[in-house]
Amino acid sequence: MTVAVTNRSLDGAKPVPEAGMELLLWILVWSELIVFGALLGAFLLLEWLDPAALAALRQTLDLPLAGIATVVLVSSGFFAATAASGRQPRGNLVAAALGGFIFCALKIAAFAHELPALAAMEGRLGELYMLIVGFHFAHVLFVSGLLLLVALRPASRHVAGVATIWHLIDLVWLLILPVVYLG
Amino acid sequence: MHLPRALPLPAVLAGLLIATGLSLLAVSVLPSVIRGPAIAALSLTKAMLIVLGFMRLRRESPVLAGALIAYAAVICLLAGARIALAGLS
Repeated sequence: MTVAVTNRSLDGAKPVPEAGMELLLWILVWSELIVFGALLGAFLLLEWLDPAALAALRQTLDLPLAGIATVVLVSSGFFAATAASGRQPRGNLVAAALGGFIFCALKIAAFAHELPALAAMEGRLGELYMLIVGFHFAHVLFVSGLLLLVALRPASRHVAGVATIWHLIDLVWLLILPVVYLG
Repeated sequence: MHLPRALPLPAVLAGLLIATGLSLLAVSVLPSVIRGPAIAALSLTKAMLIVLGFMRLRRESPVLAGALIAYAAVICLLAGARIALAGLS
């Protein structure tokens, strides 16, 4: 990945468009992290306040499926990192996107048996769980599409940008896992 | 200053897969007082592997890498503390 947030033009007067895009990318990354951080913080607080709701939620969650989804997502991160390092970017971006779509399919399978139980749950924990996991699911689906779009014409700057966003999604999932699933 | 060489990507992936397997094992085997710190440490390790191994941020921007790892550390520590305290109550 190439990060150049400290890039400056040599004459000190002309702005560098690529540096501006990098800065915009990192503003986006931190905005996402702040939103997910707030949601995970609220989840931790509700878990602590309502242990009965937490126990009920944990009974509905499918931990082995979440484990498989994690393996798929980090593997797709590997392909995105390989693409960003310049090795067969098109093929690796397609492989990363495929991993994203498999992750989405696994989450849909999980939602299919979690939703009826969550609908019957009292309290806000179930709703917050759906908000966090659903929001992350939407990110995976959207950025998987972006990976495919970039794979059509894999310019190195675009590959590095989309790979950064993909790693952010990986990172957020790895933080969702201990807060929501591994208690 | 001499920069450290980047971790090879297959090694990063192997580390992530091993840490994921250990996390799932910890859930089913360990008592919650030990499980909390174990899961926090494993989750932070995975976050560090993503930031340093896949994003290669340490070589490009040590400040951003440090900030991302600190962010992940706060969430992992809170999650670990909640799991450990649940075992005490």
